[in-house]
Amino acid sequence: MTETTVTPERPLVVEEGDVKPGFIGQSVPRKEDKRLVQGEGVFFDDVKRHEMGYVHFVRSPYAHARIRSVDVAKALELDGVYGTLTGDEVAILTDPFFELSTPPGANIKDYALAVGRVRHVGDPVAAVVARTRELARDAAELVEVDYEPLPHVLDAEESVKDEVVLHDDAGSNTVWSGVFDWGDFDAALADADHVVRIERLHFDRFSSTPLECSGCLVEFNRGTGQWTIHGNHQMPGVGAIWMAPALRVGIDKLRFVSQDIGGGFGNKITLHPQYTACCLLARKLNRPVQWTEWRTDQHTANTHGNERTFLDITVPVKADGTMLGFSVRAIDDCGAFPRYEPLGCIIWAQVTPGCYRWRNIRVDFTQVCTNKSPVAPNRGYSRMQHLWLTERIVDIVAGELGLDPIEVRKKNYVKHEEFPYETPNGCVYDSGDYARCLDIALDLIGYDSLEEKRSDAESRGKRFGIGIGSTLDSGTNNFGQSMIINPELQFSGNNEVATVKLDIFGEVVVTLGTVPQGQGHETTSAQVVAEILGCTPDDVNVRAGHDTYWNSTAGFSGTYASQFAVTGLGAVKGAADKLAGEMKQLAAAVFGCSPDDIELVESQARIQGNPEAALPFMALGAILNANNAGLPADLDVTLNVRYVYRPQFEKPDLERKFGNLTLTYATQIHACAVEIDPETGVYEIVDYAAVDDCGNRIHPQIVEGQVHGATAQALGAATHEIFTYDEEGNLLTPNFYDYHVPHALDMPPMKNGFIESASPFTPLGAKGMGEGGGAGIHAVCAALQNALGRRGEGPIVWRSCNPYEGVWDLLQKPEDTRKLVSVESR
Amino acid sequence: MLLREVEYARPASVQEALRLLGANDGARALAGGQTLINVMKARAASPDVLVDLADIGELRGIELGSDGTLELGAMTTYTDVIDSAEARARPILGEVCNQIADVQVRNRGTLGGNVCSNDPTNHLPPLLVAIGATMTIIAPGGERSVSAAEFFLGVYMTAVGPGELLTKISVPPGKGDGFASVPIGKDGTCIVNVAASLDGGALRLAIGCVDSVPVLLEPGSTDDDAVRTAVHGANLDPPWDVHASADYRRHLADVLALRAVAQAAGRK
Amino acid sequence: MDAVSRKTITVDVNGEQFEREVDARRLLIHFIRDDLDLTGSHIGCDTGNCGACSVLLDGTLVKSCMMLAVQADGAKIETVEGLARDGELNGLQQAFSDHHALQCGYCTPGMLMSATALLRQNKSPTEDEIRKGIQGNICRCTGYVNIVEAIRAAAQ
Repeated sequence: MTETTVTPERPLVVEEGDVKPGFIGQSVPRKEDKRLVQGEGVFFDDVKRHEMGYVHFVRSPYAHARIRSVDVAKALELDGVYGTLTGDEVAILTDPFFELSTPPGANIKDYALAVGRVRHVGDPVAAVVARTRELARDAAELVEVDYEPLPHVLDAEESVKDEVVLHDDAGSNTVWSGVFDWGDFDAALADADHVVRIERLHFDRFSSTPLECSGCLVEFNRGTGQWTIHGNHQMPGVGAIWMAPALRVGIDKLRFVSQDIGGGFGNKITLHPQYTACCLLARKLNRPVQWTEWRTDQHTANTHGNERTFLDITVPVKADGTMLGFSVRAIDDCGAFPRYEPLGCIIWAQVTPGCYRWRNIRVDFTQVCTNKSPVAPNRGYSRMQHLWLTERIVDIVAGELGLDPIEVRKKNYVKHEEFPYETPNGCVYDSGDYARCLDIALDLIGYDSLEEKRSDAESRGKRFGIGIGSTLDSGTNNFGQSMIINPELQFSGNNEVATVKLDIFGEVVVTLGTVPQGQGHETTSAQVVAEILGCTPDDVNVRAGHDTYWNSTAGFSGTYASQFAVTGLGAVKGAADKLAGEMKQLAAAVFGCSPDDIELVESQARIQGNPEAALPFMALGAILNANNAGLPADLDVTLNVRYVYRPQFEKPDLERKFGNLTLTYATQIHACAVEIDPETGVYEIVDYAAVDDCGNRIHPQIVEGQVHGATAQALGAATHEIFTYDEEGNLLTPNFYDYHVPHALDMPPMKNGFIESASPFTPLGAKGMGEGGGAGIHAVCAALQNALGRRGEGPIVWRSCNPYEGVWDLLQKPEDTRKLVSVESR
Repeated sequence: MLLREVEYARPASVQEALRLLGANDGARALAGGQTLINVMKARAASPDVLVDLADIGELRGIELGSDGTLELGAMTTYTDVIDSAEARARPILGEVCNQIADVQVRNRGTLGGNVCSNDPTNHLPPLLVAIGATMTIIAPGGERSVSAAEFFLGVYMTAVGPGELLTKISVPPGKGDGFASVPIGKDGTCIVNVAASLDGGALRLAIGCVDSVPVLLEPGSTDDDAVRTAVHGANLDPPWDVHASADYRRHLADVLALRAVAQAAGRK
Repeated sequence: MDAVSRKTITVDVNGEQFEREVDARRLLIHFIRDDLDLTGSHIGCDTGNCGACSVLLDGTLVKSCMMLAVQADGAKIETVEGLARDGELNGLQQAFSDHHALQCGYCTPGMLMSATALLRQNKSPTEDEIRKGIQGNICRCTGYVNIVEAIRAAAQ
């Protein structure tokens, strides 16, 4: 393991220690950059087709309403309008998208356009296609929809009562509900010296709002019934699984193509409704159709991250600060349509005890629909919310019992020597050293001079606080966890595909099943292949983007859930290893020796110890493809390898809800210092440190970039980024004017550090780490808490997002939140 | 994001602009477009005709008169003010302009656009009211001057009537000014802003974001108590929105008023 | 003169002259992307906040989503496509790549134009001046850390 610390002047990691041999572990120049810095990337809206039509969706202005009628006649009269699509047509031409949950959630009918009813402001009701973008927008205004408003429900705790039901077919707003019970919580409670009770905590609704909005350009080939979708869907395999049955076609009839994608962060996973509408339009109008989502649409009607309310949190604690576990009732608000969301009901269980050695955990989990934008796997998906809970628990317990928040963490952290560590529900944390990461973070932020900083801030009239946020980024899912939610589902394990071939002129060509959105897949794949084949990354051509036609996708292909370094690169490694083996076999056949005598070096296959006997890659490619007379009959090589990486997983025990749900666990431990102006509630993050551990770093610069970006998003979510609704169900932050994301001047000075705890379970010892786990949110909440409260006094930070007025309220009325917490000491 | 149909003209003179504005009820002046184009993209308002003032030289320029009065053409951009040596006759102007949004917006956004749109969260209306600026308006019949305090009439409504144009803003010289605000993020939209000026003799305090027009107060002295009394006496009834409740805005007005006054006093 | 709903405009983009007829309502960014096929400049929002559409117009940094194409008649526009010479990246572009100042690349063209404007006017900006210079450009991937580093390096 290597470790680094950072000198305070420079915000970047300074590498010390050994330089690893080979390309893996080096920050090689990124292949993607040359085109992107010249503006020559190809994002879906850059693709044009002759005579294409532009799509504009007519969307509901009501949170909940019956659709009495939709009249497109006036729209069709407008010169330049090519056609329309309404919910009635969709209901005839397609079947509802399949639902992941058990009944009642299973009975929800979800279509490409609203059928009979709208369920959130922005719900698409009809689509218009016209010759220009502006005309489509004009025509949309001419579509007349007669709505009958219905009562709506915007609060999850209200929704549970089923007084206003969104989906009559389901008969209830509850999508899924269940109790998870591991260890023996009642015994833990009896054994406790203190019981800390927290009445409620709330994780607020926000999303990563990728800069590029969603969209697609769809072409339909009438002769073959083939759709080609140029879009930015980040999990096309899953998209196709939804769309094909709905469209009543075989899955191969849907070809997804993307080259560059402007950020996904989980917000481009459930695009299938709009994509299906575009498919229908392309077929109906016999012309390519293009839909570009607007920022306002992305915020109001695309997807949000999970909003979760935690109630009746009970934490048994021993006198020495050991926490024995916790019990909680969680209500998850998935918005108007669950779609991917029932998985959110289990995915948090990948990190049930967070970073801690807690053995007795009970979670009563309910997911409900409300008349708000649908929710999807926003970065940190479901684990971030749960990890925030565990961090708030540690922080609040430490505060209430007068324990040092550092010591209590170290006491309760899973210890370095305990890895691989099995959690109470059977997940295996592969490796890590949380205490060491914490120490590095504290050092970076100057924790020892905390009291000095506090005095200095107070002398300027400010309140000062330091907080810690520990988090895990669990990666490479075992999709068998979906069966815990619904035993009928036929999903388990995971996979990813890559192909590597040697072309006739000796060119190495790689295709990936993943759908990169900036994570550097072309570059890191090239590093791995180069190291295995004995050439340089510049010699490895990785096709940019994704195309179903490359036959390098499997059911779970895509870029999501912090897994590329494991699954994507696992597939690349597997394919490259196999290709290397074939190249050696071929060379051996040509030279008349054993493949074990052959090495691949400097883009040649040569006999070890005999550099004269060398075949350059070009020769190998040419021999097999064009000049193969005389090769042995039993030589079984193609030099064109397709490899499916499959991590080792078992199906979980559905009865006990027990099993290993993810392969790897990256760590991030952040520390944050805030200064609050007590007169206004305005606060500033004055110092920040982030330490990460993602095992072997394939490309250190890329890893650091992900940490920076995840931190920025977390800081936004902690301070101003929140999706708030008014009483009518209108989103009050539908654009970047009101939904304030961090700009360059908003970022605090950041210090970064890292360690590498290799994963014993992955092909390269690397762990996925792109999501991050929201450590910034945990750290800011803890810092605010530290600034505002002292043992047993002061307010409780109970929400994940704390805008200025929120902090002001905490300062003004500490008793309002103080009463959320009680301590029973025995 | 996509505008309705509109007609466009780019006159070369004020007279031609007035003619175009008067010819159509739905005609509007287009200055920097940093507000109007966004409004039109959202289709919140859709003028029939846009009269682009970009080519009218007499609307640009910053002049410093011999008596120290600063005259800023209505089409002066924020960047023009920040970069102008003349504008340092009233330093608060450049300092406040430099807090608006970002470089791109400052390069195109104009003083005239900022005051004529009179979005309640704008920076310049309360500032100009506090420092006692004067607006010059031209109509087909002639020119007239309106004090800043009388210029702002309501949300998006000012003393500039249909078929008229703001031509310049005149600012007396001075340094005893303060501006305090709580923006959403650095250089972001203001939740509350307050401008204070001691240069006119007595303290003038103008509170923005709490009403449809800046609220002008004359507390009588710079003492904290006098300022607080004046602010409370104004019985502010601020709007609620996603960034702040009425109570919070009212509270911020209290705090920022004191800070703006302290700044002004410190610089006089 | 009369107000018109359609107009023929002439623009110089990266040294090349274009003459096109456009609707008065056409935004400059759509003109650049759709009518001139220069898709390097991007659209990321509806309200002029994200800066992905930033270009230089007569040497001034502007957000092209808040201008009409007709307003650019007679103007000299510089977009990201004009930065490299014969496929050779300029110092700023190279610095962005060297310092990993881009991940998905969507904000990058606008960011490069803002950085270009900054460095033309200020040859050695401080960190604060750099951040102020790109304050109008939103990035969701990088947290701005490496972007600031890249601009600082390019300035040297």
